[in-house]
Amino acid sequence: MRHYSSDPATGAEQTQNRTAATNPEIANPPALLEVRNLSMSFGLGQSGLLAIDKVSFAVKPGEILGLVGESGSGKSITLRSVLGLTRRYGRVNGEILWKNRDLNKLNNRDLQKIRGREIAMIFQEPMSSLNPLLSVGLQITENLRAHTGLGRAERRKKAIKLLDLVGIPSAAARLGDYPHQFSGGMRQRVMIAIALASEPELLLADEPTTALDVTIQQQILDLILALSREMGMSVIMVTHDLGVAAQTCDRIAVMYGGRLVEVGPVRNILRNPQHPYSIGLLRSVPENVPPRSELYSLPGIPPGLGNRPSGCCFAPRCPVATARCAVEKPDLFQSGEKVSLACFNPQNLLSGTPQ
Amino acid sequence: MTDKQPLLQVRNLTHHFKTNPPLVDLLLRRAPRFIKVLNGIDLHLERGETLGIVGESGCGKSTLARCLVGLYPPQGGEILFDNQNVSNKTRAEQRDYNRRVQMMFQDPYSSLNPRMSVGQVLHEALSVHKMRPEAEIQNRINELLDLVSLPRDAAGKLPHEFSGGQRQRIAIARALSVEPEVLIADELVSALDVSVQAQVVNLLLDLQKHLGLTILFVAHDLRLVRHVSHRVAVIYLGSIVEIGDSDNVFSSPVHPYSRALLNAAPSIDPDHKNSMPPLKGELPSPLNIPPGCAFHGRCPHATEICRQDKPLLKKREGHGEIACHHTESLMATLAEAGEQAPQD
Repeated sequence: MRHYSSDPATGAEQTQNRTAATNPEIANPPALLEVRNLSMSFGLGQSGLLAIDKVSFAVKPGEILGLVGESGSGKSITLRSVLGLTRRYGRVNGEILWKNRDLNKLNNRDLQKIRGREIAMIFQEPMSSLNPLLSVGLQITENLRAHTGLGRAERRKKAIKLLDLVGIPSAAARLGDYPHQFSGGMRQRVMIAIALASEPELLLADEPTTALDVTIQQQILDLILALSREMGMSVIMVTHDLGVAAQTCDRIAVMYGGRLVEVGPVRNILRNPQHPYSIGLLRSVPENVPPRSELYSLPGIPPGLGNRPSGCCFAPRCPVATARCAVEKPDLFQSGEKVSLACFNPQNLLSGTPQ
Repeated sequence: MTDKQPLLQVRNLTHHFKTNPPLVDLLLRRAPRFIKVLNGIDLHLERGETLGIVGESGCGKSTLARCLVGLYPPQGGEILFDNQNVSNKTRAEQRDYNRRVQMMFQDPYSSLNPRMSVGQVLHEALSVHKMRPEAEIQNRINELLDLVSLPRDAAGKLPHEFSGGQRQRIAIARALSVEPEVLIADELVSALDVSVQAQVVNLLLDLQKHLGLTILFVAHDLRLVRHVSHRVAVIYLGSIVEIGDSDNVFSSPVHPYSRALLNAAPSIDPDHKNSMPPLKGELPSPLNIPPGCAFHGRCPHATEICRQDKPLLKKREGHGEIACHHTESLMATLAEAGEQAPQD
């Protein structure tokens, strides 16, 4: 069993150094998880609705990857497809390479051994993702029983340790409490404790702080960061809040209309975005703009699943779209040293403005 | 700002919800318990300004908004509109107040009747308040749709045919149809995506400029509140802890709670790390609010006096009004820190 020395509550200072430790330039380890051309469509055959379309990305050990985009862009479906949770709703194509195995080819039984043990997931709503009828102790030990060989007393000890780790006061006493006896932030901590029970190598976090207040959000993000650093755990974090992504992620992948439009290190994407959508998204955040001035806003709304354009999904809203954009879908290509981009007309708007 | 006449004034507003007592309590005839949502709110809205309200969920932001439009009957304190007390008005005057103060709700999916077309929604508002003679109503509906940048054929459509952003435009059109002076926006854009959110915020700012609207903007997105507000009030457990000019409150908050809250918003600049340690603990239950300063349990500066006396809002030079026993020492440390490391 690994030993956790640091107090997760003080993760704020530790996070300063973590970028150096996981800087891909210093150490260039092979990817932990590699997703290649992952597509998922709801329903079968001709009438299927394509939710995500040829998404490819990789996560390195210890890295935090942020999937950002607006609602309906396919962030959550991507995450769920990695664990095979969307199979029953439609068809999943592509490769999900995890330790030389393709998760997409595994049957449900084999997948079950990886799901929750090597790859764990936390969900957006801690209210609805915990079983209201079972005590939190039972829900944690359930996971331990499924994935470890610990005996009953050891499981209980470990459960207390986990609750302690995620910062729940008087953990031993609260083991028998039910989810409704915890507040929203505490429930999210319980969720994290369950996910961490089997010491996963990859944590999939689907909007882990969206339902929480900013003050609690900060506590939870610091906790995830500290744990990731302590345990060398990789994280894929889905969020629609660029601030959350900026403060926690090493790399960011921007999604729009079910496709990745721009992927790169957090500073490259946020300081010098090149895809018109990333630029628009970033500029509509009311930060560093004079108060009460007009905010930059992209015209129109994101396309629905059923009526995505045949060319680039963003073309109808794009200020620099050309005739080619309307008919051809751009593929991700390596545009810089570390940045990949899916656009025929990459922009360089912000390069002159140091921030 | 001080020479302006406040349009809406709230004095010592309190609102407590009675809980549904468990059977045991009924049998034992225990005293009913109250959820103390608002505990003496004092604020005023000046004509044409936007007052932002921020705070954690459960602090009473929405209850305050609902009290102002009369969705909850007044309990304690008073609401003055144009220097007249709202609660002891006649029904006709009450109706006039209801017209002049309009509310827009958070959830665009449940705040519009799914079986009424947009035209019917606007028509109802216009005819109930007799805003236009019947013959002119159709024209007015078209005007309103133009005002919120919706196509004119929208009038014949049902709410489900619109996206979230368009629905909020309909809600704005509905509120504006009766030519109100005050708009209460309760988390108006919280349910929208960032790019759409910007469109609606721009519309609201634009309308305010042209129609001279007074807006109470309730939201939990701090960046957004900072952007749209002239003044900001920070609420903690149903009491205002700090209120003042938006720039002032956001750039140099004094109250320990505002400092923690306003610093907690994650910046989109990856190198701009939050300098404040995260706030410990969580919001206490409004069922039993701590005595004295409600914040003392989570406050790093709390002393004995904070556990006993509830601090009152006091105007401070160079800042807004602050409710804290340790304002002087906090302001001194702020000034010191400012000299050592000038921010922004």
